[in-house]
Parts: sequence; C-alpha cells; structure tokens
Amino acid sequence: MTVLAPPAPTLLEDLRRRYFATPLQAAVSLFSLAVIVFLAWKILNWALLSAVFTADGGPEACHAAAGACWSVIAARWRIILFGLYPFEEQWRSALACVAVVAMTVLSCIPACWTGRRIAAIWVAGTALFYILMKGGIFGLAYIGEEQWGGLALTLFIFVTTCLIGFPLSIGLALMRRSQLPWISRTTGIIIDGVRSLPLISILFTFAIVLPFALPQWLQGDKLYRVILGSALFFSAYQAEIVRGGMQGVPKGQEEASMALGLSYWQSISRILLPQAMRNALPATINQFVISFKETSLVVIIGFFEILASGNAAYGTGEWRFAYVEVYVFIALIYFVFVFSLSRYGAFLERRMAVGER
Amino acid sequence: MRTFKWGAAALALGLMQISAPAHAEGGKTLETVKARGVLNCTGHDGSYLGFAEVDDKGNWKGMDIDLCKAVATAVFGDPAKLKIVPISWAQRWPSLQSGDVDIVIKASGGTLSRDTELGLQFSMSYYLGTTKVMAHKELNIASLKDADGGSVCIPAGTTQEQQIAAYAQKIGIKLEPVVIEKTEELEQAYFSGRCDLYTQWGPVLAIARSAKGKVEDHVILPDVIAVEPEVMIVRQGDDNWVDIANWTLSALLFAEQEGITSQNVDEIKAKPTSPQVAKFLGATPGMGKGLGLADDWAYNVIKKVGNYAEIFDRDLGKDSPYKMDRDLTNLWNNGGVLFPLVID
Repeated sequence: MTVLAPPAPTLLEDLRRRYFATPLQAAVSLFSLAVIVFLAWKILNWALLSAVFTADGGPEACHAAAGACWSVIAARWRIILFGLYPFEEQWRSALACVAVVAMTVLSCIPACWTGRRIAAIWVAGTALFYILMKGGIFGLAYIGEEQWGGLALTLFIFVTTCLIGFPLSIGLALMRRSQLPWISRTTGIIIDGVRSLPLISILFTFAIVLPFALPQWLQGDKLYRVILGSALFFSAYQAEIVRGGMQGVPKGQEEASMALGLSYWQSISRILLPQAMRNALPATINQFVISFKETSLVVIIGFFEILASGNAAYGTGEWRFAYVEVYVFIALIYFVFVFSLSRYGAFLERRMAVGER
Repeated sequence: MRTFKWGAAALALGLMQISAPAHAEGGKTLETVKARGVLNCTGHDGSYLGFAEVDDKGNWKGMDIDLCKAVATAVFGDPAKLKIVPISWAQRWPSLQSGDVDIVIKASGGTLSRDTELGLQFSMSYYLGTTKVMAHKELNIASLKDADGGSVCIPAGTTQEQQIAAYAQKIGIKLEPVVIEKTEELEQAYFSGRCDLYTQWGPVLAIARSAKGKVEDHVILPDVIAVEPEVMIVRQGDDNWVDIANWTLSALLFAEQEGITSQNVDEIKAKPTSPQVAKFLGATPGMGKGLGLADDWAYNVIKKVGNYAEIFDRDLGKDSPYKMDRDLTNLWNNGGVLFPLVID
C-alpha cells in the first residue's frame, strides 16, 4: 500500500497559509509590506531616480538635485581607488590590483592546490604586484611605499598579512601542542599576550615605537613593519582557531598514524592538519573577513588605505557635502570582497564535507 | 577608539622619553635634510579642509602644505623637493621625534605641555585659530549677548566645551549645550535647526557654512571665544632649524608688507625699492649665510610659492571655496596680529 502525498499547495494557498491565516496576521503582513515598499522606494529614489551621475554639472548640479550625488565618485574615483599614487602612473596600481585578485582567485581553485602550483602562483603574483607598484626597474618610475594608497594598499596589506600570518598560525598552534612544556608554555604566553593587546596599539608600536628600539638597518619601511605587526596579531587568533580544529580530531587518528609508522611530519601533514582545517574552516573564514575589515585601522598611522582615501575624496571645499555617497561606494567595494570571501567559504565547506556524506 | 589612540600615543611617548637621546640630532636637521635631498613634512590621513587636502589628481594642497613648500623652497630653491608624509593627529609628535618628518605644520597650537614635556620647539604663529560662534540668520542675533537661553551645538571632548561655558558665564548669559561627537552629525544638528548656535574652531565653522551653499543664511558672530596660535613645530635643540622656520614665515609676511608678489618679484629684484628689499631678495648679499641657505632663498620662496597673502587667498581666502576673512590672521597694519621680523 502506498501513502499518497498531499497535493502540493499552489502559490496562492501557500501565501495565504503563511501570511494571511488570521486577520491579525494579515494586518501585520500588510503593514510590514507597506513599510518595506516605502523604504525600498525611498532608497531607489535617492540612489537612482533623483540622483546625479555625471561630473559635468559639478557640485552645483548636486545642490539642485534631491537624490544622491554620484558625481563625486565620477570626479574623485581615482583618489578612492589609488590614493596618492602619481596620476600618470595609476594604470600600474590598477594592474597590481588585478594581479592580487587574480592570484587570490587562482589559489582558490581546487586544481591549483598542489604545493608547487600554489607557491608559484603566490610568488609570481606578489612579485608582479611589488614590481608594478614600486617600479624602479623595466623602465617603470620608482614610487615609494608612502605614496601607495586606496584599494591597492588595502588589498596588499590584507593579502600579505594572511600570507605571513597563516603559516605562522599553524606553526604556533603546533608549538602550543608540543610535548615539551617550555615550548608549549612560552608559545601560550606569546599567543595570549598578543591577544590581550588591542590591534591598534600593536600597529602603533610597530610603526612608531620600533624605530627607537631597532638599529637603522633592521627597521625596513614603515609599511612592512605594520604588515608584520598585523600578521602577528592575525596569527595569534588564527593559531587558537587551528588548535581548536586539532582538538576536534579524535585522538585515535594520531595514535593510528603512529602505529602505522608515519613520521611526525607525515602524521601532521597527512592526518592531523587536513581534518583539523576542515573543523576550523568556518572560524577561519570569519577570521579572514575580520582581518580584511581591520585593514582600515592602519589609517591611524597615516596610511592612505581605502577609507582614508575616501575621506580625502570628499574632503575638499567642493565635494564636502557628499560624504554619504563616498561611504556607500566604499561599503559596496568592501561588500564585494567580503561577500565573495564568505561564499567561497561556503563552497569549501561543501567540498570538504565529502568524507562525511 | 579614542582611548585606544591616546593610550597608544602615551605608550609611544613614554618609550620615546627613554630612548630619545639615541636619535637626537643636535642642530643637524638642515644637514640631514640637504643630504636626503627632500624635506619630509606632515600631511593628513585623509583630508583637513583648507589646510591639507587632495586635488583631483592626488596632489596635496592647502595652507599647511603651502607652508611645507615654502620651507622646502627655502632649503632647496625648489618646492618639488618635498615629501608629504600622511600622518594622523596622534602620530604627530612620535613621528617628529623619530625623524619620520623634519617639521610638523599641521594646524597645531603651541601649548605649555607640548613645549616643556614633549621636547618640542615652536616657530612664531602662522595662523590665529579663533573659536567662534555661528547663528541662524533669521534669529537676528548680532552678538552672543543676544542669544541668552539659546541652544548651542558643541563638539564633544574638545576645549571649546569649557571655553564657551566660561565665556557665557563671563558675559552673564545662559546657553543650553547640545554636545555631539562627530563633526558631520554636529553640523547636521545645527543646520537642521536643532541648535540655534554652533561653536567651533573658526576655520571649520567658516568651511561648514560654505559647504551648505547658503553662506548668507548664517552669521558668524563677532565674539571671539578663545584664540589658539597655530605654529610650526620642530624638535628641541636645533636653533638653526627653528630659525629657518621663523625666517621662512617672516619672508612670506615681509613680502606681503612690502607688496612683493610672485608676479612682480623679478621687477623688484632688478630695481629694489630699498636696501632692505635688495638684501631680502638676494640682490645684495647677506640674507642666507647665517641660516646656512643660499642668499636668494627668500626670492625663490616668493617666486615659487607666493607671499603670505597669496597663499592665504588661494587656500582659505577669496580664491578658495571657503572665502574666509583674514580676521586676526592679518598683518599688523591691516588690523591683524602678524608681523615680519626686521631685516637689517
């Protein structure tokens, strides 16, 4: 005997059941709908219908219009994207951004996940970025780090922070699990010490206090000191995430690998880490997203990352009133990057869940 | 956030006190700058309207930037030999002490603690920053005395908060304070009519008024609540470098006083109006030697950057979007308090 499934409800029935079951429900639904439509209309009207899009009319055209003043973006987008980078050379900064994005996309594709390919992609991508931005060879004019800015700088700080911080975090996590108490305890103190300091004071210390303590030849440019500080901060948090992942791997796995005669490194790299990283994935993506947003803190030590560039973009006599539009534009850029990052995280989770199906 | 910044700054300064002697350059700033080939001067991490902002092509401009250019021109004869280092407020002093910048020109006032505790040295004042009050035109307020019982928008956590209270008490009126942290919100509150008055550092006030596009709807009252002299700031212990800062400013003011502009400086140099002017422009020797500069350094500054009036008009005054009055920041013979030192 077969049980007949109830007939699938039509769309109308479904709507009625969900939103209009009782008079009170109907009233609440209608009211909410009205509010949503009203807000949507307001936003649409402001952002598109009554907005000014070209810079031809200048700020005066915006004063006359009721909606958004996108002409500030049309007139000043180069400041937002490239900061103080010399005007004639900004194509280099644009190419460098493309290189970083391409590098990131490539290394997210499973086909590239062999040690050699990943290494090649990262070395080539970073070198390309660095040569394009800094110049000084191949007939490119030299442009010092203090003139880097905008989106290119934000991406550079984020990518290098992760690039240095991620391996460091795995090292720290392994050291904290070490059998030797003096290694595990020292690592524990370092991790907890870094975690108990606010990021901004770490950045400030690396950028401004370190030059007093270090000899000239060890100082390097302020930008790299800041990246180092930010990578240290990243790795302290990420190390605890990785360690959490490792603790989720059953003890028997490691014991079995030892019983099979695998060496320490084989057991770590083939048995422990792959499973640990799968456990740690959601929190890891979270940490990446946080780090991306935290790049905006470098503004306090005088770097022209995208938020500071935005401030400079509306910070002139003519465009001063249009700060909302500039912030909306920057928010959209952040959104594109962070949203793709989290969608990629979701894809990875599905892919790595293969063993659990 | 703000406490973090100050905490970090205090930490940095504390460490600086311990290790500063290792980096003190003892009267050698000019040599260091010349050897490096560029002057490192302060910019802003973003934009500070009228004083340091960025044009469409990413070049710095503004009153503070032009003064940086003037100092660079005095040293090198070329305003392009200048590197503007973007720097936040909290970072000003550590950056100066660590040698990141050679001079701080960043709308910063000369105060007792900066002078004595932070080991800094000031030039003469290049700008008189006054705290003033703006009112809606339709309220018909001529001076703050008429505003008894009115509400006033005040930036939170600033000295203006105490200054306006003290001033109101002094002239015997009562004001209802509306204290707001962020400048954008503060202005929103005033322009939407939530406050009758808005008190702020003068330039920011004038700039806020011009940004709304309706300058004539708001009056800036004649009451001066407080005055802050803005100065150029260098490390303590290098007299020659302070002299260069002072004489650069003096040259800009002297040129204005004598009517020498970037347009007519060549004619006047060819036919000096007085022995003083001849020496000033390097037509006769003596202007540069004692400072360690070329004899025609002042000529270069006026020719390539302009005199004080030209700089002011271009960045804050009538040729800028802000249309600010010279007010106290004028020469002594025009009702202001600025004056050049004597060239003998």
